[in-house]
Amino acid sequence: MGQDNNPIFSTFADDPEMFELIGLFIVELPDRIETIRQAAQQGENDALKRIAHQLRGAAPSYGFSAIGEAAGRVESTLQQGVGLDQLPDAVDELIALCERATDARAA
Amino acid sequence: MFDEESDRKTMNTQTPENKNEEPVVLLIDDSIDVHRLLAARLRSEPIQLICASTGADGLEIANQITPAVILLDLDMPEIDGFAVLRQLKDNTDTVEVPVLVLSGLTGTQDKVTAFDLGAVDYITKPFDIIELRVRIRSALKMSNLINMLNKRAQIDGLTGLWNRVYFDQRLEELTTAVSRTNHALSIGVIDLDHFKSINDTYGHPAGDTVIQGLAGILGETCRGTDICCRYGGEEFVILMPDTDPQEAVNLCERIRELLKEKRWSRHPNRVVTASFGVTGVAENVSCSRPASEWLEAADGNLYKAKQGGRDRVEATSIDSGVRLAEAS
Repeated sequence: MGQDNNPIFSTFADDPEMFELIGLFIVELPDRIETIRQAAQQGENDALKRIAHQLRGAAPSYGFSAIGEAAGRVESTLQQGVGLDQLPDAVDELIALCERATDARAA
Repeated sequence: MFDEESDRKTMNTQTPENKNEEPVVLLIDDSIDVHRLLAARLRSEPIQLICASTGADGLEIANQITPAVILLDLDMPEIDGFAVLRQLKDNTDTVEVPVLVLSGLTGTQDKVTAFDLGAVDYITKPFDIIELRVRIRSALKMSNLINMLNKRAQIDGLTGLWNRVYFDQRLEELTTAVSRTNHALSIGVIDLDHFKSINDTYGHPAGDTVIQGLAGILGETCRGTDICCRYGGEEFVILMPDTDPQEAVNLCERIRELLKEKRWSRHPNRVVTASFGVTGVAENVSCSRPASEWLEAADGNLYKAKQGGRDRVEATSIDSGVRLAEAS
């Protein structure tokens, strides 16, 4: 992880129906990143699981499949309760992807 | 206690429903992303989307407006989707609304549970929007069919008698015909006395048995030309073509006595009675009252019968308003 720092763009970026929504999704991402970071730091696994669950469901519909997949990894790690030692990596990966999507706005 | 207000209301509400508006699709999902997404993605569909963020809000809205279709998320805090689904299916107002589950839970057991609880479809998140659209259309089609069946079906499920839809239609036809032909016609409205207390004391199955019992008596007593209907709840109506009001009173008196004599296995010591409101016109008497006035006149007599102490028949001639003698 971390090798690729290029911005990621929504695959629906050209869809007029989605244009506004994607903008809103990106604008709100920094708040979400903060929530994820805090939940992870404070070991609030239920809160972390909830936000990961929502991102897994929603992000792909906004054209960010990679975020959805990363969120899915966080969620399933917490759900199964196995491989919890990998949780920090999974969280870092999710945060990194969210940040790259946020960067797309400036790009 | 006999509730005069509600009894009169049930007989007099004849407001036709206005259903030209776009069907309401209710989304119950705790994620604002999904609300926004569907609002944008379903903008071009001929539907009205209403969003609820919690199971409790969703249930409240569903009870108030009875949507055409419900899109339901399963994994929500507090009241989860399974609990919402269970409550929707427990409520007679919402039991028939098709529920399409829209969930991030992908396990087979979750799907099986959702279908067992009465969901008609299950879509996993992230969903394909084109697929979601066609699935919503399909659920709307189902909703239309259910509504149509409910409206068109003319038989009351519990009793096998004609239902209110059929009654309204025949009353209209018969009263119109009478104004032209001067044939006799009578109608009788029947309401079980203290029915609520039977339900409350012996349970709803006992109440259903009483309703079926009265329906059975109507079936045995009425003639081939009479049209016996369950008007709703514990109210029944008999349409009696070519029957003058005095004959109608005699028929109702027979029904009243048979009901009072009947013994019930679930409550052998509790006699069940009913009150009757009759109105009609004799042959060769000119009468051109609209159907609504017939019903009002009969209902008014039912009200008098209730006020007079129940377990009795009250009757008037619709043309003169003159009160008729008791059974002869």
